[in-house]
Amino acid sequence: MIETKNLTKNYGNLTAVDNLNLTIKDGDIFGFIGPNGAGKTTTMRILVTLLEPFGGSAFINGLNVAKEGKKVRRLVGYMPDFMGVYDDLKVFEYLEFFAAAFGIERKKRKSIVEGVLELTDLESKKSATVDSLSRGMQQRLGLARVLIHDPKVLILDEPASGLDPRARIEIRELLRELKRMGKTIMISSHILSELEEICDHVGIIEHGRLVFSGTLEEIRPRLGIESKVRVMVADHQEKAIELLSALPQVRQVQSLGGEIAVTFHEGKNAAGIVARTLVNAGLDIISIQPERLKLDDAFLQLTKGVVH
Amino acid sequence: MALTSTFSNLFDPARFFGPIFEKELRVSSRRKRNYITRFAYLVFLTGFLTVIWLDAVDFTVSSGTHVASRLAQAGKQIIVTLVWFQFYATQLVAIVMLSTAISDEIYHRTLGVLMSTPITGFQIVMGKLSSKLLQLILLLGVSLPLLAVVRIFGGVPWDYIISSLCMTLTALIFVGSLSLFFSSFSRKTYVVIILTLVTLVFLFGLPFMLMSRMPLRMLSRYTTPLALYHANPYLMLDISTRIMLNPSLFGRISFSWPIHCGIMLTASAFILIGCVLLVRRIAIAQASGHLDALARLRHLKTMKSADKTVATPTNTRIRRVKGPPVVWKELISRISSREKLIVAVIIGLEAAMIVAMYLFPVVANTFGWEETHIIYIWIFMGLGMFSVTVFSSTCITSEKESRSWPLLLTTTLNDWQILFGKFVGVLRRSMFVWLLLFFYVCVFWAFQYVGPLALIHMILIIAGTIIFLSGTGFYFSSRLKHTNEAVITNIALAVSIWGLLPFLLVLLAQADRSMRDLREYYLNVVPFVQATAVMVATDFSNSIWSSYDWPDHNRGPLESTYLILTVMLGYMFIGMLFAWCAKRRFRRDIF
Repeated sequence: MIETKNLTKNYGNLTAVDNLNLTIKDGDIFGFIGPNGAGKTTTMRILVTLLEPFGGSAFINGLNVAKEGKKVRRLVGYMPDFMGVYDDLKVFEYLEFFAAAFGIERKKRKSIVEGVLELTDLESKKSATVDSLSRGMQQRLGLARVLIHDPKVLILDEPASGLDPRARIEIRELLRELKRMGKTIMISSHILSELEEICDHVGIIEHGRLVFSGTLEEIRPRLGIESKVRVMVADHQEKAIELLSALPQVRQVQSLGGEIAVTFHEGKNAAGIVARTLVNAGLDIISIQPERLKLDDAFLQLTKGVVH
Repeated sequence: MALTSTFSNLFDPARFFGPIFEKELRVSSRRKRNYITRFAYLVFLTGFLTVIWLDAVDFTVSSGTHVASRLAQAGKQIIVTLVWFQFYATQLVAIVMLSTAISDEIYHRTLGVLMSTPITGFQIVMGKLSSKLLQLILLLGVSLPLLAVVRIFGGVPWDYIISSLCMTLTALIFVGSLSLFFSSFSRKTYVVIILTLVTLVFLFGLPFMLMSRMPLRMLSRYTTPLALYHANPYLMLDISTRIMLNPSLFGRISFSWPIHCGIMLTASAFILIGCVLLVRRIAIAQASGHLDALARLRHLKTMKSADKTVATPTNTRIRRVKGPPVVWKELISRISSREKLIVAVIIGLEAAMIVAMYLFPVVANTFGWEETHIIYIWIFMGLGMFSVTVFSSTCITSEKESRSWPLLLTTTLNDWQILFGKFVGVLRRSMFVWLLLFFYVCVFWAFQYVGPLALIHMILIIAGTIIFLSGTGFYFSSRLKHTNEAVITNIALAVSIWGLLPFLLVLLAQADRSMRDLREYYLNVVPFVQATAVMVATDFSNSIWSSYDWPDHNRGPLESTYLILTVMLGYMFIGMLFAWCAKRRFRRDIF
């Protein structure tokens, strides 16, 4: 659905995006992360036709964003990292204005606007002026605006920035709902724990270059991080250690008080292997906990923290 | 040593005005635009003086007495030009410099932070005003050696130089205070500049334009003007200049420049007190999340209507989008029902001012004069052109500033649709002033003061001007990032091509006869000159087919129509060229 090939964008001597190759599949939520100044926003702006690439190409649904701008704009809903508002319009008027700007017929506009207001839970605010809304409400309105022309692709630049925890949770739920509706979503955020919860794939960008793209599970081997599983058995802990140590995939087994820490050479289905081995030996398992790799840790290891 | 230190501490402005004064000076020393402004001021000053010098002094004459007499005459001319140049230019610079004084703090949300320190509202206001005034006084100071040197030629009394400098300074303080005051109301700089200029036009400009056209003896007949000109710096300087140029008038009209300066300083003090009181209120409002006075009003309205919505859900009217969306957005009324009362009061005040504006010619029985109509046409044209200049150059930059521009560009609207919508918006917003002009011409046509051809010709002149100014405005608005810059650039362009350039050409042609043809051809295309030719020729005292007195030569009505039409098409072509360039820049430098 979204594809970039050697995408490059320069600002004078500064290369903001450097030969970026990216693929996002239909219906995925793709988390786009990177330090400030890494080139995330520039990439997104190129994809929504606001900037022209210096080199390479970008495609949305097979359409070249640099050459078929109008068709691309019909397919894409873009929410920038700031909320642009017309001070003097009310919420309903604001949305209807954008509905008209996207060429939606007049007789359909009312129901469409009411639909997105319902989806974003803004019905009670439809008569309020846009600039009187709280930050959280404005972000929701931004999402409502993005959805007004029912785009297939949503490109959201920091949609949760500056929001309180409740508003963030609401936005997250809304994004899940949009995924269920079949939208492809590209989202950038600095709140990595949130992306971790909603994204199918992540892309990590630094200095305009993609340093990683894939699922979180795919990061582990890339980083050479070993997979760990913590297991607690009812009794016969020594027998359990002996059994697990004999497994060829296991590199190390440690006893940590009541728990056993098992370190694998590779991370595929480590918890399943441990469970199967112990159950087959007739041991009772009290708890089994695969140690998850956090996106924050992966981000820190993959990026150097140097910005342009 | 200790005494010197105590003395310098006592007179340290930072001690009186607080750290704001120092900060403003430091920041301003780092701003490129301040250096450009000063440089432009000096370039214009030097240019004017050179041209006047060339005009006034005839170097071919060898007689010593004649040269001395010409030098005295040149001295007078130079000093008068310098005084008036400084009088207008420093006020204009003061308006621009102080238009961001409070609004910048509001925009950057630093006012609340400042007010949470021991700095008082008085220190903020005075710090801002005094730091800018200090820079302007430096500009005035630049000309002092020149004034002293030119005075050696003789013919100019010290009294005139001192009084004019004092009047310039007090007018500067008043105008600066006014701009500072308005900057508390809106974070949009161009709104502040417009509010200040409109206030000055109504307060001082109109009485000045009307009364300065009258012989001095007429002024002394009325007691109202006597009170008026003591409160009007433009009239005071005008009378002072006329008396200096013609000393026989001295004593025939009683005026006192120290009283005038006192009035101006008192008025400035009142404005500044208002400003100090406002600053605290704004800081409190800002702390509750509202950026400017208009936003506060809207917020209050929304809160109240939200309360009512609970009880009566159908109470709030939502305006449905009709037709092209950008055109709709530009055309919708920004006035809500609750603001209508305020707007009605403002319209009432404007109507009263317009009536007052007409009252004077009625009292003086000058409606039969061509000059009266020319002045009114100039006023309406000036206001109309000003509004087109401002609205066209704000329409894209204001979207960039509110960050809604990228949103509009990511819709499926094409660039021509956006441009057309913006043009309709400019027309709609400036329509009120153009209607006043239309109404004026129609009324005086009905009363047989103005001929029927004037209407057609004025429409042609205005059509060309509107498209030209809209095109340049769109271009600057798409080219520049900030509304302030775009508005000032567009105004500077209009003033340069229709004000400064003709003025310089007139002066140059006086000094160099070979420049006369160029001057005359150029003057033919200046809208104000065209309007003047039209109003004079279509005056009912002349025949309907009387010839038009153009700067180069007289033309008949048909030939004049052809000229006006050609110029209109020229302006339209250039305007559309600029608009096309603007469209090409729509998607560049968006952020």
